[in-house]
Amino acid sequence: MSLKVGIDFGTSNSGVAVYDGGRVRVLPVDPKNVLPEVIKTVLYITKDYRAYLGQEAVETYYRDNVNRQRRYVKQWAGEIEYRGADLFYMRDIFVYVDELKPGRLLQYLKTALRKDNYKGTQIFERYYSVGDLAQTYLSLLKKRAEDVLGETIHAVTLGRPVKFSESPELDSKAQETLREAAHEAGFKEVDFELEPIAAALDYEQSISQPQNVVIFDFGGGTLDIAVMRLGDAKSRQVYASGGVDIAGSDFDRAIIEKRMLQHFGFGKVKHHPEIMQMIEAVPDWMALPEMGTPINKNILDKAIQAKVAPVRLKALEHLIYNDLAFTFYNRVEAGKIALSNDGATVITLEDKEISLWELYTRSQFESDIYHYLVDVEKVLLDTIAKSGLDVEQIDAVVKTGGSSNIPLFTGMLGRLFGAEKVKESNAFSSVVAGLAIKAFNHSSLVE
Amino acid sequence: MSLSNKIEEWMKEAEERPESAVTIVRLIARRLRELTERDEELLAENIALQNGTRVEEYQKRIAHLEYQLELIKRRFGVDEGTLVELPAQPVEESTPNLLVYNAQGRIFRIELNSDAKELGRITSDMSNDHEPPRILAVPSNEEALLLYTSGRVSAYKVSDIPLIELGGAWERSQAALPDEPRAGELLACITPFSHLPLSDFFLQISRRGCAKKTMTSLAQSILGNHYIGKGALQKSDQPFDLMLSRKQDRAVFATYEGKVIAFDVDDLSYAIEERIKLSATDYVIASFITRADDSLLFVTQTGKVIHRDSKSIETSKSSTAKGQALIPPSRLEQGVRFMGAASVQDSDSVAVLDATGRLQILGADSLTGSGSIAAEAWILSIGLIQTDNSLAKVANLRKVGESS
Repeated sequence: MSLKVGIDFGTSNSGVAVYDGGRVRVLPVDPKNVLPEVIKTVLYITKDYRAYLGQEAVETYYRDNVNRQRRYVKQWAGEIEYRGADLFYMRDIFVYVDELKPGRLLQYLKTALRKDNYKGTQIFERYYSVGDLAQTYLSLLKKRAEDVLGETIHAVTLGRPVKFSESPELDSKAQETLREAAHEAGFKEVDFELEPIAAALDYEQSISQPQNVVIFDFGGGTLDIAVMRLGDAKSRQVYASGGVDIAGSDFDRAIIEKRMLQHFGFGKVKHHPEIMQMIEAVPDWMALPEMGTPINKNILDKAIQAKVAPVRLKALEHLIYNDLAFTFYNRVEAGKIALSNDGATVITLEDKEISLWELYTRSQFESDIYHYLVDVEKVLLDTIAKSGLDVEQIDAVVKTGGSSNIPLFTGMLGRLFGAEKVKESNAFSSVVAGLAIKAFNHSSLVE
Repeated sequence: MSLSNKIEEWMKEAEERPESAVTIVRLIARRLRELTERDEELLAENIALQNGTRVEEYQKRIAHLEYQLELIKRRFGVDEGTLVELPAQPVEESTPNLLVYNAQGRIFRIELNSDAKELGRITSDMSNDHEPPRILAVPSNEEALLLYTSGRVSAYKVSDIPLIELGGAWERSQAALPDEPRAGELLACITPFSHLPLSDFFLQISRRGCAKKTMTSLAQSILGNHYIGKGALQKSDQPFDLMLSRKQDRAVFATYEGKVIAFDVDDLSYAIEERIKLSATDYVIASFITRADDSLLFVTQTGKVIHRDSKSIETSKSSTAKGQALIPPSRLEQGVRFMGAASVQDSDSVAVLDATGRLQILGADSLTGSGSIAAEAWILSIGLIQTDNSLAKVANLRKVGESS
């Protein structure tokens, strides 16, 4: 019998699980992580094209990059043709490349799958398409899982959001890219299951009576909702499913935009469009590293000399040029997570030239993301309406994914369905457990 | 957003969830404490700026950098006129040299040959009042700093010391005397110091186990005044060794009666400090900087070699430590004593001088392997020859002992 596993390829975290017909085993694929069963969806590729994932990627990145030396060299990048009515000429294009850069850290790989304008990235001399990045990550993850299990994995059931994208073309393109990446990573058979349905399969193990259940899968990249009949494998039915591109990364972005940008000169710098552009790039994890050019450094240095918000611009310069962006995003995310339990927290970033301190309360956070609550509630009610059930007919709401623990959304679910109907599940492993069950059932069916 | 708006928002949180008020107050109090400390640091900085001490400090730092530049220029034989063409200048060729010197300031300089294992023989007695000669391996383009027991220093280029012929029999009169000790003083040690710009401290060790560190930024004043100090607490004590070290280095010293102690250079105060409590008859016979992956060799007067991993020597934080004893009491009673010690890697070599005056080179791996040195008489002194000697990363080794 070929071994088949379930893989939850999440936006922030991933996991691998295997089911033997009686018990789900979530594999400890990241021994360096606090929770070894959860592995960060982070990939670090070094200059000599060695790839690391999870906590090892983060540690290697920190070791190699923070406060390192830089040396920019001008490199030919291509040429541009100028055509006019009576003229035609070509111009060379040069870019500044940091030749001492030891590697690239890549995160939000799953989000990249559904971005229409993000095809891939140049990592030193090689071009990695979005599929190549997913393939690199999956093949390393497969290897880790095989090391734990001690046998070769042939097939996989991959989780996927209800909608990768609102556009059907982009949605199917993202799934096909992921399928191809999984094949190239060495999985001979690849099939997919919707993530909320996978979470439902895990929940089903814990109930004895058939129930109408809403799965509220709210992770790092998307919100996925499924309305299902569960409790009996024969009468299992998906009444409706829905989703929206709102999740943890959007909340991080909201925190940065509303509370952090002022620490980097927002509001103080008015008549410097280039600097404004750099400040506005802070919330964008894809754009910020691109800001680190010698020209921008020169602009910042001149502004600092001219005493244009010198302390804040020095902090911005340090954030961009000392590879502190990843630390910064992590601190913001940690602050957000802390507010799920506490009424207040502090988001700090202390380094040579940065002294960022922001006391952030839950009510501030809730006001910053309130507009998302309206959208989420609408999508939830629409999905239930699509299922043909009334809210009163819902027996349980199972929440999973890290963002589902945010009190604002837990409160919303309690208000709509009654707090007693809102069921907790393991935020990080319920989807992967369900995928493993699906993988087992599917392979049994095939055999 | 202004601070008053933020405070309004914090108040709102406290009103909505009274339990948050405690958290908010605690977080603000912690921040206040941090800011108070920072404020104090800034005020101190302000005072330093106003009274000019900061300016002086920067002036000293600039002077130090200029001096370091001067040293590098001297080392590579570059003058102002040719500095702009530095990459085109041929670097002075460096050959590994061995200096054998005694307390009276007499120095034999021998050019090492990679094949020669028997270097030659010193036919006359180089010892001075039971103080045997010491051995130092240096590249020929190195700068040597001579430290005298009075605390005086003088600097010489190694290449300025005349060479003697390899493989011969050398008389005391053939030894160079670049700077004869003055009345009442002896030559304590010779230290290679061209890597001064890469070092943080001068580290002085006295015979009775005192350590003193001095910032290398004071090098200009030390060399200008030709004085670094004795680095000893008691009048009867005298300087034994001087080496350059970095902040993160770990120094080790070994004593005549078999005690060994290690300490972090960064933990030392700038005042002279006694690092080991020695018995009345004991004294330091070797001191060196060691790395985590090094092996430590301790050699007795009969040529027995004791081998330990660098990690096995505990780092002492206390100034009243007695050190680890490597010679068992029974052997001590029989008269076994250490003559030398070194921090080595397998690829290194060791120069050995015995009481007959024979100077030979042995592989460090062969010493750790065989556990003894084959010599014609008692061992007087050993000196480490590192494989990357030509890069001026030279270990300075001290060995002293009773002559047979």
